[in-house]
Amino acid sequence: MASARFETRRLTSDAMFGVCAACAAVIVTLLLLVSGYLVFIGAGAINLSFFTDVPTGDVAQPGGMRHAIEGTLILLALAAAIGVPLGVASGVYLSEYSHEWLFASPMRFIADVLTGVPSIVVGILGYELVVVPVSRWTSNSVSFSGYAGAAALAFIMIPIVARTTEEMLRLVPKTYREGSLALGASKAQTVLRVVLPSAFGSISTGIMLAIARVAGETAPLLFTALGSRLLTRDPSEPFPSLTLQIYTYATGPYPEQKNLAWAGILVLLAILFVVNLLIRVVASRHAATRMGKS
Amino acid sequence: MPASMTHPHSHPQPGSDSRSDARPEARPEVAVRAPSALPRGGPASAYPIIDAIKRGETPTPRIHDSVRAEPVILAVNNFQLWYGQSKALHGITMPVAKGKVTALIGPSGCGKSTLLRSVNRLNDLIEGVRVEGSIDLNGNSVYARGVDVIDLRKRLGMVFQKPNPFPMSIFENVVYALRISGERNKKALADACEKALRQAALWDEVKDRLKASAMGLSGGQQQRLCIARAIVSEPEVLLLDEPCSALDPIATLRIEELIHEISSRYTVLIVTHNMQQAARVSDYTAFMYLGRLVEYGRTADLFQVPQLRETEDYVTGRFG
Repeated sequence: MASARFETRRLTSDAMFGVCAACAAVIVTLLLLVSGYLVFIGAGAINLSFFTDVPTGDVAQPGGMRHAIEGTLILLALAAAIGVPLGVASGVYLSEYSHEWLFASPMRFIADVLTGVPSIVVGILGYELVVVPVSRWTSNSVSFSGYAGAAALAFIMIPIVARTTEEMLRLVPKTYREGSLALGASKAQTVLRVVLPSAFGSISTGIMLAIARVAGETAPLLFTALGSRLLTRDPSEPFPSLTLQIYTYATGPYPEQKNLAWAGILVLLAILFVVNLLIRVVASRHAATRMGKS
Repeated sequence: MPASMTHPHSHPQPGSDSRSDARPEARPEVAVRAPSALPRGGPASAYPIIDAIKRGETPTPRIHDSVRAEPVILAVNNFQLWYGQSKALHGITMPVAKGKVTALIGPSGCGKSTLLRSVNRLNDLIEGVRVEGSIDLNGNSVYARGVDVIDLRKRLGMVFQKPNPFPMSIFENVVYALRISGERNKKALADACEKALRQAALWDEVKDRLKASAMGLSGGQQQRLCIARAIVSEPEVLLLDEPCSALDPIATLRIEELIHEISSRYTVLIVTHNMQQAARVSDYTAFMYLGRLVEYGRTADLFQVPQLRETEDYVTGRFG
């Protein structure tokens, strides 16, 4: 009967809608629970001294996390300073030059694999490639440093930035390149003056995504930056970071330090939130300027 | 010209066919002939040259004496081009007259755009392109070993099918060619910008918003901007690759008037699939077919008294 079949179809459709809606509801509830719990526990430990004080060494009055917040921001800046130029340059190579030269597809494949490498592996790599050689060179016992930590973070950023840059440059219309070359521009001038600027918005989105990705990393820093209780701005020393400090406090025995860890997590999430918000703003601005095109 | 007449390639773009309706009064110099009383179509043997070309031969093109009498700025000599295995241009030999507008016409795939892009070696960008023969620009070989392609392209200007302003300000678009040559002098840049925009008949529309993004201009304005950008460094030849195919009839009209105006200063080589446009804007017309030059002469002659039946039937829309 046609009406019976119609009934079945309607039921199937309703059931599918129900399942999807239920799944979505579960996910959103979980997210809200996690962030609500974080705010509930973490907010209690956040006060002015959290942002202005450094660890005291007294477990009952552990002080604040100023050193770790600053440390994380400096580490991110250093990592971006190393990772962004290398990543963007690799992306330009892959998109603009590789067809005239070798290595394009192996490089692309390696970049894709590197994107998925567990971050603890990157930490060990940083230890072996930066910490150990620097220790030998300076005859220190072990030279953990902020530079080593930044290098490890940069290593995670490079493949992400490179692949995003490549994809975004490929989206730049061929007519821009032809137009520029036909006016007597060299290839380098074409890339620097026309191709890269017209993909600027989407590339910066990719860069910020990469920064957001490494902002929450702990494992790569364990064997490289090591962490520090001191307020230091010298990246050649063992260097503090929010994630490392959270790790240390959260795995320790003292309840006051555990509270600080909760607060640290909240601050870290806030930083990620701001970065993601920035990404959205840049992306929508970029979309708006593109609109004027047609 | 009868308003109902359409040329044989019914392209969907608004800028091509609908033109004749939008503008009943064509420039009087040359009118496209309406089909005469001759029977439509006719047996294939009516076109011995086309048949020979289809068999893979390269018949000698019919080049009028009027062309040979002109001073030459661009000399194409037995030029051949292959895309990988397939040959796109067969022994093209044609002088291009200095200070005139020369149009390349022919059905799709006849190689007219390929020939145009060979002049500034833009085909070099395509993998697997191979050429033989020569093109000389004012006596300097374009394809000789050791030619600096960048210097060569600085001597030519090019405008593409779709307007392609760069995503930067109007001013920066116009002076791009000067910037990449290292011009830093602000006064010189501003003067050159104004001059080029005036020549491109765009100055009055954009003089108050030179700093605004070129992306905000209309399609027709963008194309005139591209023309300004192409003439800012006073090229020896201006190459136009179907510059109106993406434009509406009114924008097309303005571009055609513009071509007419700048032809007093520059040599123009224009590819068009719109024969009426060729008739309106050009002094000389070359008819190409399957990578061969078929007939080449004064536009008035080619459209009114062509020497070949093939050309006559093509320009009147009976074949092609």
